[in-house]
Amino acid sequence: MGEWLLILLILAPVAFGLLAWAAPGDRSRGWAVTVGALATIALSLVFAVTAKTGESWISLADLFGGRTEWLAFGLELLIAIVVAVIAVRVRSRLILALALVQIGLAVAEEWFSLRAAPALPGADFRIDTLAIVMVSIVSIIGSIIAIYALGYMKHHQAHAPATAQGSGRFFFVLVGFLGMMNGLVLADNLRWLTIFWEATTLCSFALIGHDGTPESRKNARLALLINSFGGVAMMLGSLLALSGSGVEHLSGITAANRALIPLAFLALAAFTKSAQLPFQSWLLGAMVAPTPVSALLHSATMVKAGVYLILRLAPGFTGSRVMFAIALAGAFSFAAAAALAVGQSNAKKVLAYSTISNLGLIIACAGINTPLAYATAMMLLLFHAIVKALLFLCVGTIEQKIGSRDIEDMGVVMFELPVTTLMALVGMASMLTPPFGMLVCKWMAIESAIASPLILLFLILGSALTLFFWAKWLGRIQTVSYHATLTREKLPLSILSAEYILGGGVVLTAIMGIPLFQILFAPLAVQTYQGIVISAESLSILDSVGGLDICLIMLFIALAAIANMLTGRYFKPERVRLPFLSGENVVTDARTFRFRGLKDEPDEAWTTALYLDTVFTETKITQWTNWLAILVLLTMFALVVGI
Amino acid sequence: MKILAKSPWVVHFNCNSCNGCDIEFLACLTPLYDLERFGVLHIGNPKHADILVVTGSVNHRNARVLENVYLQIPDPKVVVAIGVCTSTGGIFADCYNILGGIDKVIPVDVFIPGCPPRPEAIIDGLVQSLEKLEAKRAGKKVAPARKPTFTFRPPEEAEAPVTPSPAGSAGHGGKE
Amino acid sequence: MWSDWETISAFISQACPGLLTVIMVLAAPLVGALLMGIDRKITARIQGRIGPPILQPVYDVFKLFAKEPLFLNRLYIFYAWLYLAFMILVVVLLAMGQDILMVLFVHAFATIALILGAMSVRSPYSRIGASRKIMQMVAYEPILILFVVGIYLSTPHPHSFLASAVMQLKQPLLFTLPLLLPAYFAAVVIKMEKSPFDVSSGHHAHQELIRGVTIEYSGPFLALIEIAHFYEVFILFLIMAMFWSTNLWIGAGIALAGFFAQILVDNASPRLTTFWMIRFMWAGPMLLALCNIIWLYGMGRG
Repeated sequence: MGEWLLILLILAPVAFGLLAWAAPGDRSRGWAVTVGALATIALSLVFAVTAKTGESWISLADLFGGRTEWLAFGLELLIAIVVAVIAVRVRSRLILALALVQIGLAVAEEWFSLRAAPALPGADFRIDTLAIVMVSIVSIIGSIIAIYALGYMKHHQAHAPATAQGSGRFFFVLVGFLGMMNGLVLADNLRWLTIFWEATTLCSFALIGHDGTPESRKNARLALLINSFGGVAMMLGSLLALSGSGVEHLSGITAANRALIPLAFLALAAFTKSAQLPFQSWLLGAMVAPTPVSALLHSATMVKAGVYLILRLAPGFTGSRVMFAIALAGAFSFAAAAALAVGQSNAKKVLAYSTISNLGLIIACAGINTPLAYATAMMLLLFHAIVKALLFLCVGTIEQKIGSRDIEDMGVVMFELPVTTLMALVGMASMLTPPFGMLVCKWMAIESAIASPLILLFLILGSALTLFFWAKWLGRIQTVSYHATLTREKLPLSILSAEYILGGGVVLTAIMGIPLFQILFAPLAVQTYQGIVISAESLSILDSVGGLDICLIMLFIALAAIANMLTGRYFKPERVRLPFLSGENVVTDARTFRFRGLKDEPDEAWTTALYLDTVFTETKITQWTNWLAILVLLTMFALVVGI
Repeated sequence: MKILAKSPWVVHFNCNSCNGCDIEFLACLTPLYDLERFGVLHIGNPKHADILVVTGSVNHRNARVLENVYLQIPDPKVVVAIGVCTSTGGIFADCYNILGGIDKVIPVDVFIPGCPPRPEAIIDGLVQSLEKLEAKRAGKKVAPARKPTFTFRPPEEAEAPVTPSPAGSAGHGGKE
Repeated sequence: MWSDWETISAFISQACPGLLTVIMVLAAPLVGALLMGIDRKITARIQGRIGPPILQPVYDVFKLFAKEPLFLNRLYIFYAWLYLAFMILVVVLLAMGQDILMVLFVHAFATIALILGAMSVRSPYSRIGASRKIMQMVAYEPILILFVVGIYLSTPHPHSFLASAVMQLKQPLLFTLPLLLPAYFAAVVIKMEKSPFDVSSGHHAHQELIRGVTIEYSGPFLALIEIAHFYEVFILFLIMAMFWSTNLWIGAGIALAGFFAQILVDNASPRLTTFWMIRFMWAGPMLLALCNIIWLYGMGRG
């Protein structure tokens, strides 16, 4: 049962994607995508419920009784050849070179595996709690985004440039992406992992280049280049694992006695996928794509592949200095990306940097490699996926409405789009305020990083800077005035339902944060680290994360809300006053507050938040942090070879 | 219990005063007079204030601003008018743009005469206004202050009709 | 025997569980108000004035409750309530000996609530005040987190983040965190809105940005903010007293010394710009805090 579900989870999205591509009209395509999304959600739920406790292994050879290695080799080769063809079409020598290297590596790997049987046997796919959690995140959140895309793309295609691809192909790639991602998190065989890894690269290339404008083509090429580099690193890692320790499975790498060199290469691949510094440029470029694509790349798929890989590998390397280097790289990305976000007023760019920053935090937690840190990383991964999806969807809706993605222009959205703005508010608040999960995670992250001061320092700096850029945006978007006549939002059902579900998810995870931790993540962490030597201290902290603080916080928020309701009787229209502008207010409409300035002319009262772009200049910081990040990566490799 | 009288916060608004009264009012806050010992704070914001202190002869343009500032003060509140300009317009009374007393714009509770009044007089006026503040809080009807009738106005100039001088020629002594 | 916090708290909690929390929640605003009254009196004396009565802050709050509640929108009133609620929560968490890092986060969120309240109104003064308040947080928040880390490292093995663990220390925190005291003091000066850092809503400088973040709150709503500020003053100096937790009297002495020192600093310094504030805080106190933490790790307490 489980094995067929697994194959369905990978193939069903692709099949529904093909159906959507083949669909003759918008209406039938809508049905295909909706049914496909719902089916994927249903499949993932059934998969999660019916899965056996503990680990189970699935081999294609057992299922089909044939020699499936040839299938894997063929697919690997095929993808590399496709990349090469694309490289020729987009005229990029670098990508072509990388694709040729990939072909070479695939052949070499096949040659090695034919020559000697692997020392450690393994299966093609592995089902365990981590994989199930990942599949649920990918399938559920990804499907919601696909449904949102239905409403979004209708508007987008109407205004899209003439070069844009048809929405049939768009939905094929978007929905198929989920299947590839499911395959990625389930694969245990390094070869299958590589196949899905490269397939997600191709999907993101197609989606980023959807509009076909010179800018989007350029950025798609960049994404392909950097991720192909990651692919080469991954294939090199698996080749070295095979040739060095005779291992061809992920589980083998963690089990084989300190397979450090493959670990370093896989970590490098993970960093490219998760857009950690210095590889962040492709994720920033990806924002030219339609918003559902950004939402998908940032929340459920693509970047999550990298952190998943680190999470998968980490428990096998407790106490290793390489893991420390990985944690350091993650913590550095956390702080540096937060610093980069401070100077940005472009909403999508802020979101992108915040994604990089949060992924850095997850990687740092995984690298710290204690049960508490591991559970924190898992919780961060879940919360971040929900929140980022929600925020991107809201920003996309806002952008389509006000025609700008500048944060400073968003002072009016409370009137134009009350529901979307409320959802965005919930999402942003959940990034920095209690009782939402992010804050609990940050709390646990700092507590678990306490043993490594350097990482701790980056976490502290990053937290302060994170606060800075979120508070600015949150403040701008919630601006309201009493006389406001809120517009009724007229949004397509698909957009509204996606926003509601994700907003509800954010609130639910806030309420359920601690129970989730105690029921799911803490046991998961304990189980993962079973039999591995860890300090009793980190386990004791794991126990001490109680619900009391969070309950008290919720109680006091509720008290404040009740008090606010009780003061409601004071709120009478005749008590409303305009803001004090040191002069005479001029009321023209609900949105702007003006005062009489020179010559009795109305003058706008207007201030922007602080961006400090002389200090936090993007180009300058990027240059410096990239060099430092490269230094950290080199340190990682130096540690591997034992310098 | 006199709640309001124990911490009167003052916002000061200048309706084109010559700054004489303003400086005298600020002198009240200096160590010599120390208004803060009565709990008085000089606050720049009408939304925090209890007492509106006005100086200067109000004109057509800043009358609207004055009214706006007055409306933004939460009740109960009192208005203290400092200087003769605020009651009649003072030496500016004959100017074309002068309304002649701020009581034409907002109700005034205490007039403090003088050009400018001494700080002692201002403190006295503020203390008087506190009684009215408490009375207003108690819900008593408080009558507006009686307006001083005198004005500073040299008699010979007051009789002569004002002839506006040609633009640009006046006030640049030496050439004529 | 009454110099020992453990004895007192044990005595009270034996008498009635939860009583300690109630006492602290009720006493905190009174202590805070009294401290602020003393502050105003001493400042007046330094400036050669007589100054208001000691209880003036209490009178101010009573006065504000007697005023008409004017408002602009409903959202920012909610944030005022949140600000107050979270300040009370900080006291509750401290009284219950909870995780001190969480206390810090709740405390930070109280300030964020104030910032968000200030940003939800369309007033330029309020917004500039809020921006500056964020800058203040960026300036002092790392120091406070480092302080918490220092406390964690000072507790005996196995280390603990619990506030109750601090009270059971055998030796005063000051011995392990000597450099963090001045660093924390600098953070207190910012939190108290005192010169040279009174940029967002000056405690004495009412004209600076027309009291910045609080500009649009009037009447009872301003009173909420004032009461929350009383709590904050209490919390700040309670934490300062924790530097000598083994003897309450010496701890109180340190807190009082810090209190008088910040009044002196306030009266003796001009206002810095926000950029200078960040530069100063990150170059001076933050460095001190870092040195202290590195020293602790060096001593093998990690």
